[in-house]
Amino acid sequence: MTQSPPRPRPRDDGEATTPPPFAVTPEVDGDTAVDREPAPGRLHPLRRDGDLLLTGRAEFLDDIALPGLLHAAVLRSPHAHARVLRVDATAARQARGVRAVLAPEDADAQAAPLPAFFEPSIVGGKTSTFRILAGTKVTYVGEAVAAVAAETLADAEAALELIEVEYEVLPAVVDAEDALAPGAPLVFGEWGDNLLAVFPFAEGDAAAAVAAAPHRLSGELHTQRHHTAPMETRGYIASWDRAGRLTFWGSTQNPHPLRTNLSTVLGLPEDRIRVIATRLGGGFGHKFNGYAEEPLVCLLARAAGGPVKWVETRADALLVGAREFSHRFTVGYDDTGRILGIQDRVVGNIGALGSWGGWSMTFPAGMTFPGPYKVADYDIQSHAVVTNKAPWNGARGYGKETACLALERMVDLIAAERGLDPADVRRVNFIPEDEFPFWTAAKHLDSGNYAGALDKVLALSDYRGLRARQERARAGGRLFGIGLAFELTPEGGDFAGSFVRGYDTSTVRVYPSGAVTVLTGVTSPGTGNETSIAHLVASELGIPSEQVSVVQGDTDTCPYGFGNFTSRSLATGGAAAVLAAREIRDRMSGAAAALLDCAADDLRFADGNVTCVTVPTSSLSFAEVAETVYRRGLAAPGLDQPLLEVTRVDLPHNFHHVPDEQGRFSAYPSYPYSAHVAVVEVDAETGVVDLFEFHAVDDCGNVVSPRFVEGQLYGAISMGIGGALWEHQPYTTDGQPVATQFKHYLTPRAGDLPAIRLDSQHTPSPFTLLGTKGAGESGVGGGLAACVNAVNDALAPLGATAHHLPLNPPNVLAAIDAATNPGGAR
Amino acid sequence: MIRTPLRYHRPRTPDEASALLVEHRGDVAVLGGGTQLLPQMNRDQVHVGHLVDLRGLGLRRIEVTDDQVVVEALVTYADVLLSRDLSRAAPHLRRVAHGVTGGRQIRNTGTLAGSACFAMPGSDMPAALVGIDAILRLHGPDGAREVRAADFYVDAFTTVLRPGEFVLAITIPRTAARTGYCKVKHSSGSWPIATATARRLDGSATVTLGSVHATPLHVDVSDLASNGPVDRAALADRVRSALPAPWTDVLAPGDYRARIAGVVAARAFSELEGVPA
Ligand SMILES: Cc1cc2nc3c(=O)[nH]c(=O)nc-3n(C[C@H](O)[C@H](O)[C@H](O)COP(=O)(O)OP(=O)(O)OC[C@H]3O[C@@H](n4cnc5c(N)ncnc54)[C@H](O)[C@@H]3O)c2cc1C
Repeated sequence: MTQSPPRPRPRDDGEATTPPPFAVTPEVDGDTAVDREPAPGRLHPLRRDGDLLLTGRAEFLDDIALPGLLHAAVLRSPHAHARVLRVDATAARQARGVRAVLAPEDADAQAAPLPAFFEPSIVGGKTSTFRILAGTKVTYVGEAVAAVAAETLADAEAALELIEVEYEVLPAVVDAEDALAPGAPLVFGEWGDNLLAVFPFAEGDAAAAVAAAPHRLSGELHTQRHHTAPMETRGYIASWDRAGRLTFWGSTQNPHPLRTNLSTVLGLPEDRIRVIATRLGGGFGHKFNGYAEEPLVCLLARAAGGPVKWVETRADALLVGAREFSHRFTVGYDDTGRILGIQDRVVGNIGALGSWGGWSMTFPAGMTFPGPYKVADYDIQSHAVVTNKAPWNGARGYGKETACLALERMVDLIAAERGLDPADVRRVNFIPEDEFPFWTAAKHLDSGNYAGALDKVLALSDYRGLRARQERARAGGRLFGIGLAFELTPEGGDFAGSFVRGYDTSTVRVYPSGAVTVLTGVTSPGTGNETSIAHLVASELGIPSEQVSVVQGDTDTCPYGFGNFTSRSLATGGAAAVLAAREIRDRMSGAAAALLDCAADDLRFADGNVTCVTVPTSSLSFAEVAETVYRRGLAAPGLDQPLLEVTRVDLPHNFHHVPDEQGRFSAYPSYPYSAHVAVVEVDAETGVVDLFEFHAVDDCGNVVSPRFVEGQLYGAISMGIGGALWEHQPYTTDGQPVATQFKHYLTPRAGDLPAIRLDSQHTPSPFTLLGTKGAGESGVGGGLAACVNAVNDALAPLGATAHHLPLNPPNVLAAIDAATNPGGAR
Repeated sequence: MIRTPLRYHRPRTPDEASALLVEHRGDVAVLGGGTQLLPQMNRDQVHVGHLVDLRGLGLRRIEVTDDQVVVEALVTYADVLLSRDLSRAAPHLRRVAHGVTGGRQIRNTGTLAGSACFAMPGSDMPAALVGIDAILRLHGPDGAREVRAADFYVDAFTTVLRPGEFVLAITIPRTAARTGYCKVKHSSGSWPIATATARRLDGSATVTLGSVHATPLHVDVSDLASNGPVDRAALADRVRSALPAPWTDVLAPGDYRARIAGVVAARAFSELEGVPA
């Protein structure tokens, strides 16, 4: 749970140089005339708990120390694919400090199979049954086979060595194309093949359009297995009280669905379980619920008779995969670079399926096509292929980044082939501003001014100047590259049938003292949405933000909610809180109207007061009104609504679940976008890429807290850059993951990144209460694609293309060698 | 977590330290800064029952005399970076120490001697020490001996240290030689992929390559520099033929290292000679 308490009002000695805040346009948010200015002199609400975070006093899961806390360790499969013949834990049970040992049969006897975070069969995919501990077959290195709880972590880990497991090793398959080949080892024998699902996204007749196009080109692109790497790894604590009630602390993004799952797996009524989501040191999808360790700590705690904690090691965190995609595409176009048809065979190597949700990233990977471009004929087939690598979980970008990468490469390849400027090719293909809302096969795009954002980033980066610099550098024999990328980022998805839903719930409660609490079903992965929600509610009620506390993540306290994913917080929980606050304000208006003898319409809620605009001396403080409602409600005339607590639900009003007559549907409601320019120089002799400029313009509609949006962009772009250039979890051919530490899995450090320059544009969504769009993922695809385009632009004079990511020095040099020394030694 | 019961020793004299190392031979490790050793023990990659901490011996001094620089075993990267005398007397050592990553924690606790003894191919210090003719002063059950850094490395993660022996200090002779340096790595978090220390003194020219081979690769190219700068094409050939089995790890395959070794060597000479590569 994160509880952000009210804070004393800070002094109003503000800053004056930040961009204008709270750009909520009245046209969209016509329902309210509230003043969303923060306290005078302050241009951004202060981040809640920023002081605790900066001084190292914020509490994370691993800081929780319950009396008698025991520690869990998990025995994991060392084999990528094997039958489990025997698990003997006898010796471990006798080992020092050991309080509980679970073998597969113990777990099976006490627990039902794991519910999937996102059940593939809902969308027509194959499925399987997953248990907490694998007792019959393991399908990847790292799959949990047994577990121990002991007095110290050292004792628990030592006891693992005493558990004997007999395996019959089976042939493993780690490459997606190998897995699709006839005769490949089957990850799930009963399937008959290794194809979980194929998601087609098509309009028109792509094959005919491509065939008829004046020009066409084909290519292949491969992204490596890379994922999120939150600073704080996962962790869970379970504690049973004497009455058999379970309290569960989790570093998780979805406390309520997690509780539902625990109820299902443990066979315990949901109201006997309290799940508390602790403050997150990063989520990014890595902390979606659905992991075996969630119920596992509960079983261990029950068996041991004491609370049990499990914290994921870095090596275990690096097992959780994502984003290993390949594209085989053909695109047809005319002389001006206008795209006439796209065919892309997308393949996601999703690892072994598990109960985790990440496999579903193959859906947006296809759905996002054709991005910001107006293409009548396209045919995208996105394949989810299982192999004997560890399963995927969610990863910021969620497959949309791979669509962006493929599309943006296609556009640049067209520009290069036609001798056109890549910016111009984008411009001729954009969906025009006046055609929104715009339908594609599986998207109802809300609003956009794509050309405006592109123009803005070209100006921000001095694009013409950059091209002039490039010309000079090339004349001097240097490999100077400029990469553009335009990213469309579907956000806020709703997958009915799962617990990945598009709506959420908030309660606003006013106490007699005038203190206000928001209880919401959306959680924060550390982005600061609690600050924004408090600010929105405070603005509706005309009180300082500091008077509003926000409670998230505690299932005993908060309304049922779906937590944090797909950049949904403000358009769902935030909007619901605004609606609830408005209803509270109406109720308090009724009371104040009676108390001040003023028409309710003439009341103004501002500066902590409720004032009658026609008689400005006639005023009560917000707290006085609240207290009077509690003390005199239902007893004094006009005070007939004493309940100062309202719960509302809201969502972006742009879901189209039932296909229209053309078969079109839209599971995502909100479509922010961003334009990017990356500038690199490539060292031709070593393959080292120096990324030295990055510019981006983002449009996520109306913005509540500009600095938080900037923070998201910095992070997302950095993540995209990391994926383009360095981050990689390699596997050996027999299925062993190789990167086990941050010295192997190379995320960018501050010194690896240029100063990212940002600007913004605001095109409100007509479908969300506040005109906002999602703001958490934009930049992953743009950072990735802009870097890859920039490197390829740099290599152009050598005739080289670098389409195997990451573009780290060995891969870049291999691309150079392939072009300059074909058939050479390498 | 360290899973095995562990006995911590803090001897007061080098002889005591050696005696402990002999007594627990096979089940003991020397503790320097612990930045490599302790994480490995936590990850269950190193299991020993005894740790011999050198802190009881002092060994934190940097001593600069007219003819040499002595860096004792517990001198950290931060100590090196803060020492003005050392910066003047052994600027190359300072430069290499400056390039070690891992932030303040590593700089403040990691020792040069620890890095030297760990003998990991993908680290900075071993080849740097070989490249500047450093000498390791060892202490063992039979007393002290000195070994040239160039003779110290046997294989990846393996040195000539005998049972009971440990490094007391690293000495670097002060010479008129100047050095050139080049390092290639993926990103700041990466281990080095290839390093080169080039050196010229009177008629001699040498280059020491790091991270491209199981042990530092010292190549004499004096004959390629008879009249002026080292001949670049011949240098590349020389380096290539000196590198039959390049080092491979998770970050880069051996063929990549072999491919750039000559380039890195040439760049180190370019810096030294002021001539473009
Ligand atoms: C995050 C991180 C980043 C890093 N970045 C880099 C980098 O960029 N470049 C680089 O080169 N290295 C890097 N390192 C490694 C670092 O250089 C070494 O960890 C450090 O120098 C080792 O010194 P130590 O004193 O901590 O050694 P320890 O961990 O104490 O010891 C290492 C080994 O040497 C032995 N040993 C230590 N001292 C002696 C002695 N006096 N006599 C005999 N044996 C001894 C130990 O028994 C052990 O086997 C990094 C490490 C980390 C954790």
